[in-house]
Amino acid sequence: MTALRRLGLSLMAPAIALVVALALSAAVIALIGQNPATAVRVMFDFGDSPAQQTQAIVVVLNRAVPLFLAGLAVSVAFRMGLFNIGVEGQYRIATVLAAGAGAAVVLPGPLHLLFIVVVAMAVGAFWAGIVAVLKVTRGVSEVISSIMLNFIALGLASYLLTGPLRGSPEGASIITTSPIPESGWFPGLNGVLTGLGLAEPRSDLYGFLVVAVVVGIVVAVLIKRTRFGFDLRATGMSASAATASGVDARGMVLKTMLISGAIAGLIGMPDLLGDARSYNTEFTAGLGFLGIAVALLGRNSPLGIAFGALLFAFLDRAAIPLQFADIPASVVTIIQGTIVLAVVIANEIARRVTRQQAERGSAVAPPTTGDGSTGDGQGPGDGPPPDVGPTTGTGTGVGVRNAAGDAGRTDSRQGAGA
Amino acid sequence: MNESAPLAVELRGITKRFPGVVANKDIELRVQRGEVHAIVGENGAGKSTLMKTLYGMHRPDEGQILLDGEPVTFRSPADAIAAGIGMVHQHFMLADNFTVLENVVLGSEPTKGGRLDRSAARRRIQEISDSYALGLDPDTLVEDLGVGDRQRVEIAKVLYRGATTLILDEPTAVLVPQEVDELFGNLAELKREGLTVIFISHKLDEVRKVADSITVIRRGTTVGTADPRTTSAKELAEMMVGAELPVVAKRESTVRDVPVLRMRGVTVTAVAGGRAVVDDVSLTVREGEVVGIAGVEGNGQAELVDAIMGLRPLAAGELRLGDEDVAHWSTRRRREGGIGFVPEDRHRQGMLLDAPLWENRILGHQTRPPAVKGAFIDRRAARADTARIMQEYDVRAPGPDTAAIALSGGNQQKLIVGREMSAQPRLLVAAHPTRGVDVGAQSGIWELLKDARAEGMGILLVSADLDELIGLSDTLHVMLRGALVATLDPREVTPEELGGHMTGAARGDDSAGAA
Repeated sequence: MTALRRLGLSLMAPAIALVVALALSAAVIALIGQNPATAVRVMFDFGDSPAQQTQAIVVVLNRAVPLFLAGLAVSVAFRMGLFNIGVEGQYRIATVLAAGAGAAVVLPGPLHLLFIVVVAMAVGAFWAGIVAVLKVTRGVSEVISSIMLNFIALGLASYLLTGPLRGSPEGASIITTSPIPESGWFPGLNGVLTGLGLAEPRSDLYGFLVVAVVVGIVVAVLIKRTRFGFDLRATGMSASAATASGVDARGMVLKTMLISGAIAGLIGMPDLLGDARSYNTEFTAGLGFLGIAVALLGRNSPLGIAFGALLFAFLDRAAIPLQFADIPASVVTIIQGTIVLAVVIANEIARRVTRQQAERGSAVAPPTTGDGSTGDGQGPGDGPPPDVGPTTGTGTGVGVRNAAGDAGRTDSRQGAGA
Repeated sequence: MNESAPLAVELRGITKRFPGVVANKDIELRVQRGEVHAIVGENGAGKSTLMKTLYGMHRPDEGQILLDGEPVTFRSPADAIAAGIGMVHQHFMLADNFTVLENVVLGSEPTKGGRLDRSAARRRIQEISDSYALGLDPDTLVEDLGVGDRQRVEIAKVLYRGATTLILDEPTAVLVPQEVDELFGNLAELKREGLTVIFISHKLDEVRKVADSITVIRRGTTVGTADPRTTSAKELAEMMVGAELPVVAKRESTVRDVPVLRMRGVTVTAVAGGRAVVDDVSLTVREGEVVGIAGVEGNGQAELVDAIMGLRPLAAGELRLGDEDVAHWSTRRRREGGIGFVPEDRHRQGMLLDAPLWENRILGHQTRPPAVKGAFIDRRAARADTARIMQEYDVRAPGPDTAAIALSGGNQQKLIVGREMSAQPRLLVAAHPTRGVDVGAQSGIWELLKDARAEGMGILLVSADLDELIGLSDTLHVMLRGALVATLDPREVTPEELGGHMTGAARGDDSAGAA
């Protein structure tokens, strides 16, 4: 019963939040003089023919895969109280270098793919590693450094694309890297779809979906079941308690950022290997920032992130049909924004409620969120609200938490200490 | 002082409960207008909770607050400020890049036509500074000021808001002796102008120097008042820590010859190259021995514990666990090597409050059975072992999946003690193991420590509770200003003597006491 109740509690908050967000969005749509019902109908209209419907599903899934990876990358760092805002830069620089490297080498099929993926992960990890090194050696807040590294990464990626890695002829309207030869293409999954009796869609379902699922499972096991994951979560819940228990805070910052960055390196792979075959000026941008929202939505659990990614992908797909129905596509952005806000608020309320219940001893379930996204787990109950972005940047110190930070912390919610 | 005049501040039967702990119980406080009234008590005795009540930061569950004889209710600090109560916090709340003037007016700025009226503010501040001899220059940047000046800015801030009663929370903790004297000079000025000062401290010599009357708090309740002119530091120390000794059953020594912890000249500095907070400490803990560290809090005990656990680097000295030099070992390696740790602040260092008990069982033992199998957490074994600890150590909770925060302080502490004992350490570092726990849990924990000692565990016991120290220790060291200043035999020493050593009074710097 308790497990069921806990599940119910943890699902109720996002469910209510979703309803509230949709109601708010409907109000906004009504305010701009459109009919919310029409908008909903358009969003759920996947087309008339079976082929169109499967195509719609494929579009949603293909969009969800990179979003899921982005959410995972952010969540790993969140879990230990690190705000990796730099996922955006990490995946952009990783993708351009992986595209360049993939085009430059000749290898047999699977090896070629593996090579590209490893390059991407290594570059992502390296870029995130800079943030970690700055933090543990110089005490630089990872929020600041990762944001600044985003700009450097984007600039660097543009330089690489237009300079050394340029593959398109002079004067082409879209500048691209040289295309990756066919041995480096990731096979699609349309065979599976037709095998299931679905109509053949126009585009390929990314084979990278399988990789993403595997990565998701690995991350889930790593965080929940391993010693390393325990150290990581313990640090996220209480850095001081983790340090006293023997966790090497600096080492953890480094390892966690490397993992986060390596996953971030994968974000561009589904599009690169499944469709684009080269990095270009039109390559999907903004996935790193969306990943933050998706991670918040999924409360840093891989399963939750998968749902969050699917929801966002579903909404993104609706952007074009909405425009056909004369409803501005930015409605989608509004819905996404309100959902994230509502979910974050609902999660925080749920956290406080469960915590209060636990303190009164009436609830036997642990609070549903003890993760990095909802402020410092041990801190004052009236502590900082959860971060949605870089604006507040609280509760971030781990490796280099100074005496002042500790002093703030000792002023505990119990107030019983003198 | 006129006895018939209403008291500036009177607290009647104040009780404040927090989940699992009663922080204040039946507090009685009577502060005359125009006096410096000291509230003394050990850390954790409930002084800060009391002051937060008086400052409106939370409301008492029971009891009454009277100002000038009138009952008042504070919903927030703003109410308290409006009623003339001001608080000078221990940690300064100043903006470094603002001037003194800007800091003082921050939050209640005088305006003229919507803009900050600097000249009015400057006049007021100069006036305050002159009448209380604070010596402030309104236009200096706070970042250019020393600690003593910053404190005066804090005082000016409070006075600027029209406070007639000032609460100073451990004001001398951050000051050097000369600055303390200056502060006391300022307090005398305030008093002369008819203001009331409530002075919170645990430094008895200072309290006796500055206060007109003293209220002593122990374990959340007021145990009495004292007149500083007729009460010695020793007597105060006794009141503070509780002098009634438990009947310690005569027990035979279990001390063996094998040392488990040897420290030679261990020195720890506050910052690299800075002041020594642990000063040249040498001590040995042998198997089956409880070595007690007595001392008024803040004399380097916490830093000593950190140094042993590897949470602070040694500036100098040698640290040996058994025969091995562990000075450069990580905290984890030290724990694996057989050091158990019951931290002083269990919420900060001992528990993950939001995590279930079985995860807390793993904390600190991430690399050892039964919690782990290879690189993986063994959830089933961890849960089973948590259930065992709960039974053996009488941890009252519904089950291993209960969140740690749902437990009372005593049960949390028993879980920590059980967890640390379960790893069968060679050395147990126990810092205030019974702080903030109820009486039942306290005697339970004492029994556990005695049993462990009988089985040959070496225990380093840091405590502020004299009963605990004298009752449990085989050897007793006194720590004062970072150094071990005396080694006493707990079978012979009286709480009075111990208190004297703790305050430094036994070394002759007690002038008025020893009547």
